[in-house]
Amino acid sequence: MSEILRAFHAERGSRLSDGCASTLGMDQLSVSLALEGPTTETLWTTGETSTSFEDLQFTLGEGPGLDALRTGRAVLEHDVSAVAAGRWPVLLPALAGLPIQAVFCLPLALGGITVGVLTALRSIPGPMTGQQMNDAMALAAALALRYLGGDGEQFDTRAGGRLDGELHHAVVHQATGMLSVQLGLPPGKALLRLRAHAYGHDRPILDVAEDVVARRLRLNRDSPDEPNASEETRG
Amino acid sequence: MTSMSREQQVSEVFVQVADSLIDDFDLIEFLEQLSVHCVTLLDVSAVGILLASENDRLHTVAASDETTQVLELFVIQHDQGPCLDSYRDGAARTNIDLNDPSVTHAWPAFAERARMSGFRTSHVFPLRLRDRAVGAMNLFHTGSQPLTAPDASLAQALADIATIALLQQRDLGQEQREKAQLQHALTSRITIEQAKGILAERWNTNPDLAFDALRAYARTHQLRISDLAREIVDQTLDTAHIPRP
Repeated sequence: MSEILRAFHAERGSRLSDGCASTLGMDQLSVSLALEGPTTETLWTTGETSTSFEDLQFTLGEGPGLDALRTGRAVLEHDVSAVAAGRWPVLLPALAGLPIQAVFCLPLALGGITVGVLTALRSIPGPMTGQQMNDAMALAAALALRYLGGDGEQFDTRAGGRLDGELHHAVVHQATGMLSVQLGLPPGKALLRLRAHAYGHDRPILDVAEDVVARRLRLNRDSPDEPNASEETRG
Repeated sequence: MTSMSREQQVSEVFVQVADSLIDDFDLIEFLEQLSVHCVTLLDVSAVGILLASENDRLHTVAASDETTQVLELFVIQHDQGPCLDSYRDGAARTNIDLNDPSVTHAWPAFAERARMSGFRTSHVFPLRLRDRAVGAMNLFHTGSQPLTAPDASLAQALADIATIALLQQRDLGQEQREKAQLQHALTSRITIEQAKGILAERWNTNPDLAFDALRAYARTHQLRISDLAREIVDQTLDTAHIPRP
C-alpha cells in the first residue's frame, strides 16, 4: 500500500504511471470523474484497452463504472465471461473484441460524495488478493480526496493527506453537511471550504467542525477563504 | 423492549440475524439494534461497534447511543485504546478498570475520555473472521460490577453476529468482496453523518435530533438508513418530505 501511495503522491500531474497498474496486479487502470448529472469524463487511462473500455461505457451509457458511480459501491467482476448477459446487455457483446476478462470499478467516494471511479482491467480472470484490494481502496481514497471539489478540479493532495487524519470524526462530516446547506454548495466543495477556513485560521479542522455544528461559526457564501485562494497563499 | 425477558431478547436478536441473511437488509440499522440489545442483555451502559479500514484504523459503524458525545468516545480509539489492541491480537479484554493507571497507561487519552463520560469499566470483544479480526465491539459501564463468564460468552457471540451481518454476502468466499463490504459499511457511516448535518442545518436543530428523524422516516418507509442518507447527500431526495423532529 505504501508503494502505491508513494507513486501517487510523487505524481504532481494528473496521470499515474503504469507501475501503479502492475502493483495492483492489473494490466491497465483508468480514472473517470463525474460531471454534472450522469455524465463522466475520462481523466486518464494507462493504455488503449482502458481508453476503449471507458469510451464504450460512455457511448453506450451502461457498465460497471457507471454502476459504481450511481450506487457508490464497488463493482468487482473478476470473471467477465460469467456475468449475466442482461446485466449490461449492450456493453458485454461490445467487449468481446477487447482483452478484458476481469473488471474492478471502485468509486472515488467520501461518504455520500462520489466524485468518480477508478477502473482496473485484467486480461486474465481471477479475484484480487486482499493486499491488492487494500491497495486499490487506498488509491481510490487518495483520488477521492484529490478530486473532492468535483468538476475535475484538482486539489493539493499533501493537504489532502492532512485532511485524511481528521475524517474519522463524525463531527467533520456533520459540519460538511451543515455547510453545504449554509453555502449552497455540493458537500465535497463544502468540506473543502471547511478545510480552507481551518488552514486560513491555522486551526485544526476538528475544532472548526465542532464550532460549525455547535453554531458558534457560520461561513459566508462570499468568503475570502476560498480553497484555491488559501492554497495559493500557502504556496 | 424492557418488558421482554432475556431469553425473548436473545431470540429476537437471532431472528433478526436470520432475516438479515435472507433479505436485503439495512446493515447500519441492524448493528445499531444489536448494540441496543447488548446494552440490555449484558446490563451495560453503552456499546459501540468498530470496524477496521484498509489501513488498520478503527472507525465506528454503530453505537447504542447515537449522541455525538458517545460517538466521540469510540472515535478516540481510531489510533489507541483496548479496541485497537483487541483488533490486533484477536483477543477479548474484560473488566478493564478505567480508574486503574496500571491498566490504562497504554492509552491514557482514551481512559480519560471514558472517565469524563462517566464510565468506570470497559470490555472489548473482537469481531472475529477466521484467524483474524475485522473490528471490535466495545462495552462501557458506569458501575464496576464484573462481567460474568456466561455474559462474556454471550457478548462474544453477539460480536460474532455483528461479523456475520457485516459479511453476509460471502457466497464467493473472496477476500476482495469482504473488503468491499467492510468498506461500504464505513462509507455508509460517513454518509449518515453528512446527512445528519444537512438535516440539522435545514431544520435548525442538532445532528442527534436530526438522526432520530432520519431513522424514524427510514423505518416508516422501510428504507435503509444508508440509502436514505445517500439520497439526501446527493440531493435526489427532497428533504421536505421528512417530518421535522
